[in-house]
Amino acid sequence: MEKEMEVRPAFSIRSSNTMQHNSSLGMPQGPSSSLPCLSAPLEDRQPKFPSTQQAGMGKELRPSTVGPLTGPVASNNGVVGPIFSTGSAFSNDLHFSSSISQRQGHSSSSPFISQASSNFISQESSNFISQASSNSTSLSLLHSSQSGDIFQPVASDFTKESNDVSWSSDPLQGFLDFPDNVGESSQHNGMDGDDQTRRTDWGAWTDQLIGDDETLPAGWSDLLLDTNAADPQPKPFCQTPKLSSDFKVQQGPLPQLAPALSGEFCSVSSPSSGNGGTNKARMRWTPELHECFVEAVNQLGGSERATPKGVLKLMKVEGLTIYHVKSHLQKYRTARYRPDISEGNAEKKMTRLDDISTLDLKTGIEITEALRLQMEVQKRLHEQLEIQRNLQLRIEEQGRYLQMMFEKQSKGGVDKLKAQIASESDPSVPSDSTLSLSKTDFSAKESVERNNATITLEEPHVNTQSDSGSQYPPAKRLKSGDPSSSISE
Amino acid sequence: MKYGNRLRRQIEETLPEWRNEFIAYKDMKKYLKTLSHTSLSLEEARFICLLNAEIEKINNFFLEQEEDFIIRQKELQDRIQSTIATFGANGVRPSETEYEEAMAKIRKDMVNFHGEMVLLENYSNVNYTGLGKILKKYDKKTGRFLRLPFIEKVLGQPFLMTDLLSKLIKECEKTMQALFPVEGGGNEAWEESIFRNTVAALVTIREMRRGSSTYSPFSLPPIDDHGDHFSLYSLIPIQ
Repeated sequence: MEKEMEVRPAFSIRSSNTMQHNSSLGMPQGPSSSLPCLSAPLEDRQPKFPSTQQAGMGKELRPSTVGPLTGPVASNNGVVGPIFSTGSAFSNDLHFSSSISQRQGHSSSSPFISQASSNFISQESSNFISQASSNSTSLSLLHSSQSGDIFQPVASDFTKESNDVSWSSDPLQGFLDFPDNVGESSQHNGMDGDDQTRRTDWGAWTDQLIGDDETLPAGWSDLLLDTNAADPQPKPFCQTPKLSSDFKVQQGPLPQLAPALSGEFCSVSSPSSGNGGTNKARMRWTPELHECFVEAVNQLGGSERATPKGVLKLMKVEGLTIYHVKSHLQKYRTARYRPDISEGNAEKKMTRLDDISTLDLKTGIEITEALRLQMEVQKRLHEQLEIQRNLQLRIEEQGRYLQMMFEKQSKGGVDKLKAQIASESDPSVPSDSTLSLSKTDFSAKESVERNNATITLEEPHVNTQSDSGSQYPPAKRLKSGDPSSSISE
Repeated sequence: MKYGNRLRRQIEETLPEWRNEFIAYKDMKKYLKTLSHTSLSLEEARFICLLNAEIEKINNFFLEQEEDFIIRQKELQDRIQSTIATFGANGVRPSETEYEEAMAKIRKDMVNFHGEMVLLENYSNVNYTGLGKILKKYDKKTGRFLRLPFIEKVLGQPFLMTDLLSKLIKECEKTMQALFPVEGGGNEAWEESIFRNTVAALVTIREMRRGSSTYSPFSLPPIDDHGDHFSLYSLIPIQ
């Protein structure tokens, strides 16, 4: 992680979820900064995860690491799980990032570049979509997720030399109409595709993007959901600013999307991402950063006197733009000098909770009581929300685990399966899983997802997806409603 | 359309300035109706574009609110400290009444602040649920498999990274506990239990009227043909 910290001094990682490392933008070495985030959790095994939820997500990350994948590629039903070889993808990533950073010259294009990098990151992790939906578009490419076979090409894509971009498959076809200089077409991975050539030499594409140094295609800002990624880095002035920001790239022409599409569907999101201004970045503030901000403001004589420029200079946080400071300063002034307004809204908002209280609010004691009750309700809601959130995360985790298991089983042979069927294990450690069970679960889950049938386990689905499936009838039929019993957390 | 109803109610009851910031669930469902059963890449691309727009909207709002909370939290802390320093026992001009008054105001503000933060947490949750559901509907309608990978991506979005928010909430609770310790009086406890039971009863009745959030083969068929069938995890209802 230290290495990455040097690369991106100003950014801190709030959460090392790979999916989110589409940004770390704004740095001159934008793309490279995103990659460390990507690799960090996997390499460091999430040492930084402060909470269980993050730990859970971190665990999820491992399974979803990109890795070289070989094997059958299902077509439309190919909900292929990822293959987990944690190391390979990231070495590729780093290679990619370094190749990117070499090409970067100017910080002025950093948002642009980081956008590009975020493209790649999301693409890398989004291969699953592109595989899963054979006709999915480049948009779907940008959605991070786990992926099956597609990951290999992606990983290799990140190396300039690689020409194999099977992950691009159909989705890319239709919508990433790369100019000629982009280069070679990808290998075919068995997915039915469009007629368009697969120009998915990401290295060349990156070159082209960076070379343009103009606005990114308008659609990208819509397509890409940048998330935050940052590394904690001590700063001279601000001790541990955790600066993470999202950078949206401004609107621009869409040379690389098929003309029929470019104007059309992304116009929906254009307004929302049409920030009007140039390179309007989405900053994610943290308390530490805010402290730094406040110190700077105080040094400059208070919130009324301080100017955004002065504060920016004093804070010395890389990646922070004057725009960020300006809007934050505005909020700060509002909060300070008109606290009645900030809190006043809250009064109205909380009225309904007060209404719930059956107490007469005339005396101070009763007001106190009402407040206490209000607080109780809020605390309970908070508890419930946390529980629900954890459950949701677990559910997704299980879903991925099942897929992964299924994928592994379909790739391995029956012998391997038998060898692997053993005691329960941690979901994030695939090799110990009970594959037959998971396959059953997976097929059950699949059928649920696909057909809205409920609990029936459908052999045909299994057979469709893997050859070994047909020879290997599920050893156990679980109640679909109880997947957790077979897979330990 | 259980979730849709719930979302609608939530939006109705929510803070005015939040009303437009929730996921446009109903609109997305309408869009789904226009899709054919075989999905075209174009349609899928458009759908994804819509989703992205929603996610961006949610992210932006969430981050804005979070930033506000960070600022307000600091301000509250400063206020507390200055109140203690000024009117407190060892303060510059100790005055119990003024201290009490100031503290009462702070208490009210803190409770509201806490509430808003919890509501933002809820906002995050509600929208995530909506996204999951609309993705499920999409998969069902088109027979494709957009949900799993897409939802994974969603999981990485800022609006679902609620650790900071959680932390702020817990700090707020701690501070409240320190400043305004809750004595468990007999009367208070009784009233509180009544109140709680009332609220719980209301919630239960609501839930019962809305039916189960999961369906098993033995459940009544859903009213809406786009109802949820995520019965695999029936033990873990997603509300």
